[in-house]
Amino acid sequence: MVGLPFAKDLMVTNVIRPRLGRYILWCAVAAAAVVGILLWKPSALVFGVQRAGLYAAVAIPMALVLGIVHIVNLAHGEFMMVAAYLAYFAARILGLDPFISLIPVAIVMAAFGLVVYLVTIKHALKAPELNQLILTFGLGIALSQSVNLMFTSQSWKLSLDYVSTSATIGELSFGVFDFVYAAVAIALAVGLKLFLTRTRFGKAALAVGQNPRGAAIVGINVDRTYAIVFALAVGLVGAVGSVFLTKQAIFPLVGGPYTMKSFCLVAMAGVGNIVGVLYCSLALGLSESIINSIRGYSGWSNIVFFAIIIATILVRSFREKKA
Amino acid sequence: MTRAVRFALPAVVIAAAVVIPFVTGPYPLAVARSVLIYMALAVSWDMLLRSGQISFGIAGFFGIGAYAAAISVLRLGVPPLLSILCAGVFAALVAFLMGFVILRLRAVYFSITTLALAEIFRVIVQNWGDFTGGPEGMVLPSLIFKGDSRALYWLALGAVLLACAVSAFFQRSRLRFALTAIRNNELSARSSGIHIFKYLMIAFVTTSFIQGIVGGIQLQGYGYASPDSVFDAYYTLLPLAMALLGGIYSTPGPILGAILLGVAAEYLKLKIPYGHLVVYGIIIVLVILLMPQGLYGLYRKRSGLRAAARAPAAPAQKGATRG
Repeated sequence: MVGLPFAKDLMVTNVIRPRLGRYILWCAVAAAAVVGILLWKPSALVFGVQRAGLYAAVAIPMALVLGIVHIVNLAHGEFMMVAAYLAYFAARILGLDPFISLIPVAIVMAAFGLVVYLVTIKHALKAPELNQLILTFGLGIALSQSVNLMFTSQSWKLSLDYVSTSATIGELSFGVFDFVYAAVAIALAVGLKLFLTRTRFGKAALAVGQNPRGAAIVGINVDRTYAIVFALAVGLVGAVGSVFLTKQAIFPLVGGPYTMKSFCLVAMAGVGNIVGVLYCSLALGLSESIINSIRGYSGWSNIVFFAIIIATILVRSFREKKA
Repeated sequence: MTRAVRFALPAVVIAAAVVIPFVTGPYPLAVARSVLIYMALAVSWDMLLRSGQISFGIAGFFGIGAYAAAISVLRLGVPPLLSILCAGVFAALVAFLMGFVILRLRAVYFSITTLALAEIFRVIVQNWGDFTGGPEGMVLPSLIFKGDSRALYWLALGAVLLACAVSAFFQRSRLRFALTAIRNNELSARSSGIHIFKYLMIAFVTTSFIQGIVGGIQLQGYGYASPDSVFDAYYTLLPLAMALLGGIYSTPGPILGAILLGVAAEYLKLKIPYGHLVVYGIIIVLVILLMPQGLYGLYRKRSGLRAAARAPAAPAQKGATRG
């Protein structure tokens, strides 16, 4: 029985040099699938892409933390939820549009993430992986239940008029606004990739991700890099939470499924592969929306990600066995 | 701990637990019953943890057990006591089949997949339609033992004794060495000839069996199962926090934790209707950061130190700090 050698999985080399051949193959498969769905059920394609954008936007910060700090943050979705609540109150009390409050929310969340890192996660970095998992699981519960404690489990929603703009192509009429998630996801992926490969700090962070000890030897402050990357990721997921609020209802447990789906996407893309998350979320979003569009089976779409994660991990473990 | 105390203490505790119904009123008895339910889950969770695999799937197998019991009573006409056994057997069967896939996964992958289990089972049960009662759930025509609270208490106590007996067996047999070896270093365990998959499967199926039984007992005690009630994350969170606080890798640890947190849970539920779970999140975080060995681990360490001070060359104490 071959388990997954975790440390090996965490190599971040993919960020620098994506394997071109595999990408071309994936693109071809994706293109074929897209054309197929377009002919069969055009609405599933639109909804799938919109869903995929949201998933990718939430998952990309998790990929960043996993690739560099090597922590699986089971409180990831909960950070997004907290940010969405912040944005909600910014909108209700200060009258700020979520797109305007996005920046202050991201800054506040980054500061919050930094505090959480310094107080808790930093002290568990050297502990066994199991402790880190339970720790972030506990953090997630603490976050979601604090919100539950303060604001009850009632779900809240902003009613913004611009989210209902729609477009009509042929016979198909659909909401345009949801494509903003895809735009955010692409902006995040491209921005992070440029940041990691072009800036001094980004390169240092990548080096830390590949080999913390080696990075420390050449004079990179590993502790500080971890702290900044974690805070950055929480800040980014905070910004996503703000955008999330524009169209979705929020409640204390809204983040949980996103943690699981994000992990599924990150595992599928290969840990550290940020751009790969985009493709994988497209696959997940499309398959979910196809199942959703089949009458009578829409309830089953929530287990698609489970099937995907099992399949991916199995394929990978078999491939490793062969190698 | 001397030999006499080691045998006398469990006997006294069990005797005390058996006579509790004769000395208390119905309310304390109901609290004690729910404590016992969580205690059995906590002990069973710890048994799998000893192999180094963190399962977040307690609620999943618990819920499967509850549903299996309900279906066997309502659809197959099985008598109530036997339906509890059906619950355990069915949960064990599901674990056995899923084990071929899930037990290939390690560390984070295993944990996240089990975290998703409860959600997956919930979706399946909710969408199955008439057979599982759909979103409305299933209601039993009558409770086991006609709802007699003393009998129900003893039933739950029976589940705890079963869990403790199996756990003690795990600790005293070869299984313990195999599971500990897997936890410490899988590679060296394999090279010393341990069939890793086999032992993980034994632990996984056994713990799922116990969790299924507990689910069946819970169903027979309340006569009602719905997708949202039996797959509640509560049933994962509480046992986990209890075992951690009490002390993992032992039988007395989870028992101690369950008594402390179970009574606290009842009190908090009355005081804080929304979000009292925040306390568990915080307890998990604090325990992981401050005393990962738990209360019983602390005690064992201190008594181990004392014994070591008395007889520095006693080799038996070395093993005792781990057991």
